[in-house]
Amino acid sequence: MSEMFNLPPLELEEYSLGNGLRVVLNPHAVIPVVSIAVYYNVGSRNEREGRTGFAHLFEHMMFQGSENVPKAGHFQHIMKCGGTMNGTTSSERTNYYETLPASQLPMALWLESDRMRSLAVTQENLDNQREAVKEEKRLRYDNQPYGQIFDLINEMIYKNFANAHSTIGSMEHLDDATVEDVQEFFRIYYAPNNAVTVLSGAFESAVAKDLIETYFGDIPSQPLPPELDVSEPSEVAATYREWEDNLAPFPAFLIGWKIPPRRSPEFYALYLAGKILYDGESSRLYQKLVKGEESVIQLFGFTDERRGPSSIFVGAIPKPEKDLSQIRETIMKEIHDLAAHGPSSEEMEKIENQLVNDAVRMRQSSMSRAQQIAEFALYDGDPKLVNSELFDLLAVTPDQIRHAVGVYLNTDNRALLDVVPAGKG
Amino acid sequence: MKTEFRCNPPEPLEPIPFDIPRPFETTLDNGLRIIIFENDRLPLISYRLAFNLGDINDPVDARGITSAMASLLSEGTQDYTSRQLAEKIERLGASISTNSSDDFTIVAASSLSLYRTEILQLLAEIVLTPTFPEDELDLYRRNTVEHLKFQRSQPNFLAGEQAARLLYGEHPYSKVSPRAEDIEKLDRQTLIKFHARTMVPNNAIFIVVGAVDRPEFLAEMNDLFGGWQPGTPTVEKFASPPSRTARTLTIVDRPGSAQSNIVIANLAIKRTDPDYFPTIVMNQVLGAGASSRVFMNLREEKGYTYGAYTRLGAKQLAGDFEATAEVRTEVTGASLKEFFYELDRIRNETVGDDELADAKNFLTGVFPLRAETQEGLTNLIVNQHLYGLPDDYLQTYRENIEVVTARDVKRVANLHIRPEEMAIIIVGDAEEILPQAREYADSIEIFDTEGKMQDEAKYVVGDEAETADVAGKWSLNIDFQGQRLPVTMSLEQNGSAVTGELETMLGNGKIADGKVTGSKLVATARAEMQGSPVEFAISGKADGNEMSGTITAPIVPDPLSFSGSRQA
Repeated sequence: MSEMFNLPPLELEEYSLGNGLRVVLNPHAVIPVVSIAVYYNVGSRNEREGRTGFAHLFEHMMFQGSENVPKAGHFQHIMKCGGTMNGTTSSERTNYYETLPASQLPMALWLESDRMRSLAVTQENLDNQREAVKEEKRLRYDNQPYGQIFDLINEMIYKNFANAHSTIGSMEHLDDATVEDVQEFFRIYYAPNNAVTVLSGAFESAVAKDLIETYFGDIPSQPLPPELDVSEPSEVAATYREWEDNLAPFPAFLIGWKIPPRRSPEFYALYLAGKILYDGESSRLYQKLVKGEESVIQLFGFTDERRGPSSIFVGAIPKPEKDLSQIRETIMKEIHDLAAHGPSSEEMEKIENQLVNDAVRMRQSSMSRAQQIAEFALYDGDPKLVNSELFDLLAVTPDQIRHAVGVYLNTDNRALLDVVPAGKG
Repeated sequence: MKTEFRCNPPEPLEPIPFDIPRPFETTLDNGLRIIIFENDRLPLISYRLAFNLGDINDPVDARGITSAMASLLSEGTQDYTSRQLAEKIERLGASISTNSSDDFTIVAASSLSLYRTEILQLLAEIVLTPTFPEDELDLYRRNTVEHLKFQRSQPNFLAGEQAARLLYGEHPYSKVSPRAEDIEKLDRQTLIKFHARTMVPNNAIFIVVGAVDRPEFLAEMNDLFGGWQPGTPTVEKFASPPSRTARTLTIVDRPGSAQSNIVIANLAIKRTDPDYFPTIVMNQVLGAGASSRVFMNLREEKGYTYGAYTRLGAKQLAGDFEATAEVRTEVTGASLKEFFYELDRIRNETVGDDELADAKNFLTGVFPLRAETQEGLTNLIVNQHLYGLPDDYLQTYRENIEVVTARDVKRVANLHIRPEEMAIIIVGDAEEILPQAREYADSIEIFDTEGKMQDEAKYVVGDEAETADVAGKWSLNIDFQGQRLPVTMSLEQNGSAVTGELETMLGNGKIADGKVTGSKLVATARAEMQGSPVEFAISGKADGNEMSGTITAPIVPDPLSFSGSRQA
């Protein structure tokens, strides 16, 4: 495998503006394209009780225009240059990003700085976007089969309010919000010293630095947001809940475990255990349940990566007449087996190849580079981790995986959510 | 003020040239053309083995065989079962896929360059020694027949099927899909013979992009593919597409549809036409994107639809131009009017400088974005070679866009958009569509969803039909994935005009311009979601105090049926 270690590190330059905005440049001049990623250190974890849903509401507000960019102007400007763009909200952060032809770097910086500097937080925009978020909640959560199960199981897994509540939040809380509340939220969390800006692609560092100073340099910094406590007791306490879903056509279940934070050795070991259990057609559970027993329509699993306590999930939608408890037994049996014997050498070879393949492919596009760098810069204060994390993952031993599965997954200390179709039809 | 420079969008920097080097080309003794694009910026490799063999080459007595062959290549070979192949590929962290289109069949493989030899061997294995196992063929037949049935429920498929028939006539581009009976009679021996006859090296191009050592790679290619026996690829003669002389209207009747799927089409250019660049610029101005004219008119200004576009289908031997939209049934005629307005306008008026510049900036801007990943770059190179485009095609692409003038745009619009001979295809409720669309065409034909021609008279609603009274409060249930979701519709009626409100779980909508014809109600309820207008298209049939019909909601692709009664 010597060849894969020739992967050259990404070139990174990090610095801060006078107002505290952290900047990372990744000049990478292969294709004349540039991506910008602006990550604000605010997610649902920052929301207080009685004020849930604000971080996500803000993502909407950021497309409603600013001093020099009209409503919907952001999208139009990007389209006319031949670019792409979006924004998303998670528990950890809110991000905004664009990819453009390299010559359009000033456009990207103009658009992002104008809304950081002078977002139009007006009553009209607030009312309008509050309604938009309500519709989004109805569409994506309330009115989708299985749409609420991940929010429900998070409430079962986490005890700390900062971790447990959903990103979409409470519509009553949004209704209670005044335009002053929202302006205050913007002032605190959308300050330059609470954000990271990453450029990746074809640009000259000196030119980029000048432009960044010009566009972002005079945005005033703000006092840092209040300290945050995301600590958790380790127990989940074997919680069980039955959820009547009016739209679900079939029963389903979801099992969730609370696990250590991202980048911890245990998290890495469990991330790889997940790949062995549920990732791809040669994974253990796919072979057992989809092929062997032919008992499930759909099998899924993933890790939710957070700076604080994180989680791992396995779920399934069984075929109509199949016994759910039998399927869960098969899952727990495979977990037990992995905890007892660890992964096979073939499984280790497969996940190593997949890790390297994923890492190399991530480097192809300026957007995925910018996003990964921004996460490490924001969460860890160290963008260089983008170059070393692969090796931390490759260093995980079969015994670490075996041990971590034994401690964190092969246990009754997990949340189980049963979805019962409750339609009256 | 220091901030004045912020008032306007900034000027771009000097554009950076986008240089794609020319690849190396050679040919094996058996005629297999090899194109090597060495690119070692990342330790990755992409292979494509592309055959000049498409669905159009299906023998008349074995339709669907090319696509069946492509799908079954990786489902069993001389040395491995389907499952063993899947495991071997995943173990490398790699992927292989196989597909056919109208013109070509492509086997694609990609992996870390570390495994370039192993994945190349697996690619050779599935191309050279597939066995088409009986059980895998059986599964393919069952799944495909199910899929063909499902297609007939999709209005887009029905519209495309008619458009292809009308434009291409006896040319095989007219067949967009095999029939169930074609698939059911595919047998293993025929597949084996077809594979031996058509998948031959002198009818294929092998393209590699990535970190590759040329001599080593060529030696491997000789080992793996050197013994592959050449065949005699037949150069087929196809009938020419018919020339059209009149504007026609073809309706595919889906009773109760709340939406009309409109396609307006004529033959245009093949992929190698010298007018290609001015035509894509013209199409960008007219309707390719969400800031193009057709979208701005039908969606942004009129609110008839969520999206309205124009599209160029430039294939190897011929091509077409299409304007398409899914609109609310009651604005079918109004949408045709706007479409033809825009089609005439781009032919008669010279496009403005800003509009032309926006279209060209978009096309030159997205081009390098497409080449960022190895897969994206490989696709550009594969298309260039399959269509036989010039050697400097990728190098001169942006220049070729930039030199297009407003006069060029007008010229190609007049050549390749010909409103007087276009085929209008509308999938929807024929009874509703007919009176609205009739005036836009010289002749009319109506089909059911199975493709059987229907008698036009069946769909003509007499003027004397009595207008039903639909005023009042209706309690209705929508059938959504087996669930019954309650909605309430409150209506006021004045003659045939209807207004009111629709209350649903998704919010409440206002009904402003509903209409009753005979016992039929057609109306649209407008609500707002995420700051954008959202429309529920209602099509109902009243029978005293009972009503049934369909509602089309933006989130759900198909119309949802409803039924219920008037509250006392």
